[in-house]
Amino acid sequence: MSEKNLIEVQNLCKYYKTPKGALHAVENANFSIREGTTLGVVGESGCGKSTLGRTVMNLHESTSGKIFFDGEDVTHPNKAQKKTIHKNIQMIFQDPSSSLDPRKCVSDLIAEPMKVMKITRGKKETEKRVAELMDTVGLARRYAFAYPHELDGGRRQRIGIARALSVSPKFIVCDEPVSALDVSIQAQILNLLQDLQEQHGLTYMFITHNLSVVKHISHDILVMYLGCEVEKCESEELFLRPLHPYTKGLLSAIPIPSIHVDRKRIVMSGEVTSPINPKPGCRFAARCPYATEKCTQELPQVEEVLPNHFCACHHVRELNNL
Amino acid sequence: MSLLEIKDLAIHFPTEEGDVRAVNGISLTVDEGKTLGLVGETGAGKTTTALGILRLVPEPGEVLSGEILYKGQDIMKLPNKEVQDIRGNEISMIFQDPMTALNPVMTVGDQVAEVILRHQNCTKTEAQGRMIEILGKVGIGSDRAGDYPHQFSGGMKQRVIIAIALACNPKLLLADEPTTALDVTIQAQVMEMINELKKELGTAMILITHDLGIVAESCDNVAIMYAGQIVEYGSLEDIFDHTSHPYTKGLFNSIPSLEKKVHRLEPIHGLMPDPANLPTGCAFHPRCPYATELCETEVPGATEVGPGHLCRCHHCGNLQKKEGVIHE
Repeated sequence: MSEKNLIEVQNLCKYYKTPKGALHAVENANFSIREGTTLGVVGESGCGKSTLGRTVMNLHESTSGKIFFDGEDVTHPNKAQKKTIHKNIQMIFQDPSSSLDPRKCVSDLIAEPMKVMKITRGKKETEKRVAELMDTVGLARRYAFAYPHELDGGRRQRIGIARALSVSPKFIVCDEPVSALDVSIQAQILNLLQDLQEQHGLTYMFITHNLSVVKHISHDILVMYLGCEVEKCESEELFLRPLHPYTKGLLSAIPIPSIHVDRKRIVMSGEVTSPINPKPGCRFAARCPYATEKCTQELPQVEEVLPNHFCACHHVRELNNL
Repeated sequence: MSLLEIKDLAIHFPTEEGDVRAVNGISLTVDEGKTLGLVGETGAGKTTTALGILRLVPEPGEVLSGEILYKGQDIMKLPNKEVQDIRGNEISMIFQDPMTALNPVMTVGDQVAEVILRHQNCTKTEAQGRMIEILGKVGIGSDRAGDYPHQFSGGMKQRVIIAIALACNPKLLLADEPTTALDVTIQAQVMEMINELKKELGTAMILITHDLGIVAESCDNVAIMYAGQIVEYGSLEDIFDHTSHPYTKGLFNSIPSLEKKVHRLEPIHGLMPDPANLPTGCAFHPRCPYATELCETEVPGATEVGPGHLCRCHHCGNLQKKEGVIHE
């Protein structure tokens, strides 16, 4: 772990045009990821976490704001920059069954990014590298000529990881890489991702809705609600001392697999509202038990409430007796 | 007498590639008003068991053996017409995916009223009144009864499914992963509602899930399934505090904990076996860190490790880890 920020995002916004108006998928995101660490991004479906990940790696063009990779502004990359970005930033997708070409066998799938990026020379070298990668991600070599449909979800996800690793990236955006997997397989993949991070000094942005997974794998956590950053701090701190009412509700909603935990559940009423032409004010106001008039009129800014603990709520100080 | 008693149920799917053995001789009981959690990973046979209870096993599946006693009578032996009277009326089911379980071209009100009209001797107006009442119970206002499923969010659709399942005050509810497709905050709302309605109506429930957290919150008894068998069965306390089967232990170790910080998880090695080609002996032995030669050859029977606490393992009394770790 170093103190250098590999990724830095400033005031990043991503809006989509829809017939009903602008859909605010990501609103004013600000964060940085230190080299060799994992930033967990959590939130419920539709909160913009996947869009954020895709915008950071330039799969979607940002509406406004800036993205820095290794100190270089890559918000609107030129051709040469695009090449460096895609060589250094890779993605692991959620659904391994739909993100792999069904007509390519495992070794072709893993070799594809290397061919595109012209990393290996000649068939022999590619084959050697594919075999190495299969060992790294724990795929037995006998599957080299199998097709994705012949493999189970866990193995397919390993192919996705091998593909991402094949170009030796520095930064990987993991978009719900374990949500489609059973718990026992999920644990295998999480361990693999952590091992790879240690061995190769990788930096991750880990997008998930599963809070126990995010706590396990992340150094820092960013909580999102309807496109907005709600809370941001170190992983331990978030679970020890959540400040935002939404984070508190979210944490109390997780079912804990133990019969000795006695806790008060805050059941949040209502559902996520539409991100199209959002009303002014705090996005969470409609579901927040503490909302006042101010909350419905003014969007709260993200501020550093405690050292290195950021939160966007008008009433965070009164609510937490700070 | 228990409300539901399943004895030695086996369901197979004959296919060209061989016999897929989805359920291999399971036995369980559900008492009135109690909740049984049926836990297992994909392909463990949980949903097939539930469909078996309703006699809805899809083609080419067939029930090879076993009895399903509901209030003492064997559902397997009843004529079709009588099963139809039970299905949706006395035993009803909440399906996993609310997006596909509803009819897209019928208003939600009509879908709820349909069940009431089919099973209860009442007029259309009475059914309408009952429909409004039950939708109110699940938190849907009468003004939305004329809406179509696509106008509802995932959480609201699941509420409609629950309303349909509870419309005739069933004695037994089969809930197949009722909250898997939902976000955590919505999941908390839906589980809270199911548990309250269950208490109010005195309904027994079989809750199918892979989430041990939900089991801890909602169940009285738990059955852990692996490869079509119940490998461990007991009260909530038996399973959570006196975990006996290596598979159950593995499941607990696979879940990242919110309380403790661990460097690495301890997953179960390997993969679920192919139900068309189950291993010999104990189906779990290729993945089990405690497996011995005995496990490879002989199918373990159910041993009682505590009162009412059953475990299908040769070594459940004294587990000793094998030298070396198995890897793929």
